[in-house]
Amino acid sequence: MRRILIIDDDDDIREVAALSLESIAGWHVTTANSGAAGIRAAVVQQPDAILLDVMMPGMDGPTTFKEIQNTPSIAHIPVLLLTAKVQGVDQRRFASLGVAGVLLKPFDPLTLATQMATMLGWSV
Amino acid sequence: MPSSLRPSSALNPGAIRTLLDEVWQSGLPLLSERLAVLDAATAAAHSGNCTGDLRAQAIAEAHKLSGSLGMFGYPEGTNLAREIEALLDAPGLPPAARLTELTAALRETLSLTKVL
Repeated sequence: MRRILIIDDDDDIREVAALSLESIAGWHVTTANSGAAGIRAAVVQQPDAILLDVMMPGMDGPTTFKEIQNTPSIAHIPVLLLTAKVQGVDQRRFASLGVAGVLLKPFDPLTLATQMATMLGWSV
Repeated sequence: MPSSLRPSSALNPGAIRTLLDEVWQSGLPLLSERLAVLDAATAAAHSGNCTGDLRAQAIAEAHKLSGSLGMFGYPEGTNLAREIEALLDAPGLPPAARLTELTAALRETLSLTKVL
C-alpha cells in the first residue's frame, strides 16, 4: 500500500485530499498542517510521496521542499506541489524547483489519485 | 478510474460525494468566517483604508477559497475568489465597488446569502 504525506495548512484541503486518496486509491494517508511539522513527519514515516501546498504561513512550500532536499533521510522522497496559482509563469517556476510535479487547486477529488500516480510514474 | 487504483474496499463516486458533502457542511462555520473577512476588507476599501493586516488576511482567505470551492462543486466560486484575490493583491487601493460586486456574487453562488 502506498503511503502519502499531505502537507497543507488548509483543513478542507487536507481532509478532502485524504478522503480522496484513501477512498479511491486505497492509499494510506497522513497529514501535517505546516512545513516544519511535515518535515518531522516525513523523517519518521518515510512516505512514498509527499503532497505539498505552496502557499502556507511560516515555511512555504518551496522552502519546505528545499529543506526536504537538504535532509538526507527524506531527500529521495518525490514531492508534488499543490498550488492555486493558475498562471503559467508560477507553475513553470514551481516545476523548475525539481519537484516531481505540480498539481492545481482546486483538484477533482475523484481524479486526484490518478493525477498523482501519473506524475509519479506509478502504475495506474 | 483505472481499475488498478481501485481497492476492493473503494467507495463509489456517489458515496464519495456524500462524504464530500459532509466535509462541506462541517466547514460552513469556517467558510462564514472567511466571507466575513472579505466583507471587512470590502468595507475598508470603501473607506479607503484596506491595508495592512486586514488586506493580507483577506488575500490569504480569498486564496484559500479559490483553491477549495471548486473541489466541492463550486467552480464559479473559485473564479470569483480568484478575482477577489487578484484585486486585493494588486498595488494601490482595491476597487471597492468591484469588490462589493464580487463578494455578493460569491455569496450568491454559494447559496449562502441567507445562511451567512
